Amino acid sequence: MSLDLKLDGRSEDRFGTMAQGLLGTPADRPEGVLKVTGAATYAAENLPENCAFGMLVRAPGQGKVTAVNADEVRAMPGVLAVIRDERMIRNAAQGTANEAPVQGVDHAEYVGQPVAVVVAESFEQARHAAQSLKITTEGSPGPVDPDAVEPEGEPTRTGDLDSAMKDAVHALDLTYTTPSHSSTPMEPHAAIAEWDGDRVSVRASLQMLKYNRNELADCLGISAENVRIQSPFVGGGFGSKLGITAEAVSAAIAARELGRPVRVVQHRRQAFETVTRRSETTQRIRLAADAEGRLSGLGHEALVSNLPGETFAEPVTQASAFAYAGAHRVIGERLARLHRPAAGSVRAPGEAVGVTAFECAMDELAVKTGLDPVELRRRNIPDKDPSSGKPFSSHMLAAALDDGAGRFGWSDRAPEPRSRREGEWWIGSGMAAAFRVNIMMEAEARIDLTPDGAVVETDMTDLGTGTYAILTQIAGEALGLPAESVTVRLGDTDFPPGSGSGGSWGSATTGNAVWLAALDLRRQIAARLDCDEAELTLRDGQATCGNVTRALAEVLGGDDLRGHGHITAGDAFEDVVQSTFGAHFAEVAVSDVTGEVRVRRMLGSFAAGRILNEKTARSQCHGGMTWGIGMALTEELTHDRRDGHMVNRDLAEYHVAVNADVPPLEVHFLEELDPWSGPMQSKGLGELGICGAGAAVLNAVYHACGVRIRDMPATPDKVLAGLE
Amino acid sequence: MYAFEFERPGSLDAAVKALQEEDAQALGGGQTLIPTLKQRLAMPSKLVSLKGIAELQGIAQEGDVLKVGGGSTHGAVARETKGIFAGLSLMASKIGDPAVRNRGTMGGSLANNDPAACYPAALMATRGTVVTNTREIAAEEYFQGLFTTALEEGEIITSIRFPLPEKSNYQKFEQPASRFPLVGVFVAKYGDRVGVGVTGASEDGVFAWKEAEEALAGNFAPEAVDDLWVSAEGMMSDLHGTAEYRAHLVKVMTKRAVAAAE
Repeated sequence: MSLDLKLDGRSEDRFGTMAQGLLGTPADRPEGVLKVTGAATYAAENLPENCAFGMLVRAPGQGKVTAVNADEVRAMPGVLAVIRDERMIRNAAQGTANEAPVQGVDHAEYVGQPVAVVVAESFEQARHAAQSLKITTEGSPGPVDPDAVEPEGEPTRTGDLDSAMKDAVHALDLTYTTPSHSSTPMEPHAAIAEWDGDRVSVRASLQMLKYNRNELADCLGISAENVRIQSPFVGGGFGSKLGITAEAVSAAIAARELGRPVRVVQHRRQAFETVTRRSETTQRIRLAADAEGRLSGLGHEALVSNLPGETFAEPVTQASAFAYAGAHRVIGERLARLHRPAAGSVRAPGEAVGVTAFECAMDELAVKTGLDPVELRRRNIPDKDPSSGKPFSSHMLAAALDDGAGRFGWSDRAPEPRSRREGEWWIGSGMAAAFRVNIMMEAEARIDLTPDGAVVETDMTDLGTGTYAILTQIAGEALGLPAESVTVRLGDTDFPPGSGSGGSWGSATTGNAVWLAALDLRRQIAARLDCDEAELTLRDGQATCGNVTRALAEVLGGDDLRGHGHITAGDAFEDVVQSTFGAHFAEVAVSDVTGEVRVRRMLGSFAAGRILNEKTARSQCHGGMTWGIGMALTEELTHDRRDGHMVNRDLAEYHVAVNADVPPLEVHFLEELDPWSGPMQSKGLGELGICGAGAAVLNAVYHACGVRIRDMPATPDKVLAGLE
Repeated sequence: MYAFEFERPGSLDAAVKALQEEDAQALGGGQTLIPTLKQRLAMPSKLVSLKGIAELQGIAQEGDVLKVGGGSTHGAVARETKGIFAGLSLMASKIGDPAVRNRGTMGGSLANNDPAACYPAALMATRGTVVTNTREIAAEEYFQGLFTTALEEGEIITSIRFPLPEKSNYQKFEQPASRFPLVGVFVAKYGDRVGVGVTGASEDGVFAWKEAEEALAGNFAPEAVDDLWVSAEGMMSDLHGTAEYRAHLVKVMTKRAVAAAE
């Protein structure tokens, strides 16, 4: 039995009437102790007996690949195999690809492509042998410069933006650039593959197992029924583990060939190259406004890049379609086919860089019109989606702007730049709006209810985001059980297929599947009590219906019950536009003598429907805002101009914001229930915090010292050049 | 892994002898060499550890000179020079992280002469002396460019001698990811002269900023260098900073070091 729900129209809020009081609380992660004590086993741990160790080998150039001394390497101590198999993958699959990415080892299409895996008895032997394998490439490199090729695609045009620009009182035509960004997480990509007959089991570090299973099966040329993937713990993903990755495929191939388990862990530098980066962007933004700052038109055109054969193009302008009013519009991306390492979804694909640049442009318009930046945004909030004419499911931007501005003390800000100085430091503040589309996928989950409590199972993953905690809360709330009586099991394709983690949709989508499984159980319990499910109150292991209260164990009467839930998006995601909204505020100090930028404080007010766990939600926003600081100030992958290779492919050269860069971050959530988002009334939150965060920092830099940085990041040398 | 021999001699003589073997490589704290080996950028057939040699240990004031054994760790330098040589103690306390400071040695760092290493700035500013198993080498002769020194094959740094200044300080502008100095400036004030050593900036490695030394000898105050500037020509330019930016930082860091000197 299964309770299936296709989301059409508004949903009733069922959690407002539940009695357990678990959902929404800042509950601890149930697996937190395991993680901080090192007892949680990540993909590279739990070594099976007789495991061999594989190391990937990268192509040093583009072109036809030759392994010059493979026989010599095979003869090295401990070496078991040097494998160059045409099923090995060129780069990680795109998120939700559900099929193999481009495969092959004979032609390197980018520098760093995995072209061999060397397997040995020990990790050290494998590493040495891999380093000893000499790979040559022949042929001239394909194009690596986004400006040197004719891009694909055309923006969507509505009305006549050129005329609107001519007629506007205030017109801005600006170009912003953002560099490639890395999604490399704390836990490097790792897999252990083991075969039992024709069936392969892989312990891996992946985000979306139901897709990854099909992708791996397709890569290997076997049936998906013969693939099991387990990822109970994932040490961060940020998009880099959405699709099947090179180490998982090569571990499976090697384990098959050798007839024993094989582990392959990507070196940090390999993970930079073989999994997908965020594309660099060049964004032309046009704003046409009347004397009061009301937009008559806007343009947002972006140039992004990817390898030939990849379907993904960074959706830079995704939020620009609905963010602000303005009848005349030119919006869309162009894609340059380049032989840089593959691009893919990185935390908040599209909005992360698109909203950031657009919100910088809005700040420039505020300066030009003489309007307060908060007021400028308020004036341009559309009453319906300007691109489609559809209504919004809810629109919380004005509320977020007001809440954030009030808490931040925005009204104390002097409007003029260079208004405040402390010693060598210019002090200023800036703000930006945040937008992120709300997406629902398909998910299933099941709950087994016994006198001991409930066990929730789905192949959904927890990337450190708090999935274990949130699903515990949803099941506990719906079934009237304390958190201790709920066990959540994740990350195993033997469980019902969840949504996977990505696109901010994990908790809302899979959470609703868990709710439906719980509702299935509630109906079974109500039937045993001979009452209507809606009348049933479950709390602390007691079931109450009317004036009858009985222990849940007694109601079960020795039976174990199973509930199964299945959710899919329906018209609720067609009839209205669903988005989360927020407002970022930042105060920075800019050194007049070095050009350094220090973020002094940062505040975000966010609305994402019902907040399921205040602690993990807050942490997600902290993470996003921290990424915003990195994007604004330091993060920049540099590609060699000759062959496109990543120059700074490790964390000693590519700087993500760390404790020393991040001030205390204040996060506030607005009260909201969005009935269009499903029975939980909750929208995806994981990526909202990054959208626009960098713009608040960059706008604060301008306000502090009068320097406008349009070529991100705002490194000290660029800021200093502006100061002089 | 690849096989190599490992030797841990107990005396300087034994170490010198061991290093005469072809392709033998001295190993100090290993904070640069071990990662280099892991990446196979070097593959010596024999490593000769200098950790067990008593002659390379010890930090002591000898009159107006501080003598630091080549095998002294950054941690030991930071602790033991605190009341004697403030600038050097400060410098050592901010090299790398605790793990690096507990293993890495002054002799190893100076022998490697990384263009962004800290110690070369102190040695240059003080016009100190590198003492080896065979001779003494003045700072200005010792440094010969990026990763290049006057050391001969198999020559071992036994100690480093710093003329003790009245006041000193070190200021570095860190590359945020690696925390190596983008530019580091060591200032040492003596009765009759001032030394200014600059690391991280020049394509030729550490150098003494002589115009600043002269100006500061007359007036040891930050504003003494206000009218000076450093040319971007010959400065390093990379992902983390342009030549112009590095040149700019030399002056900024010099002023900060002078202001903070104690």
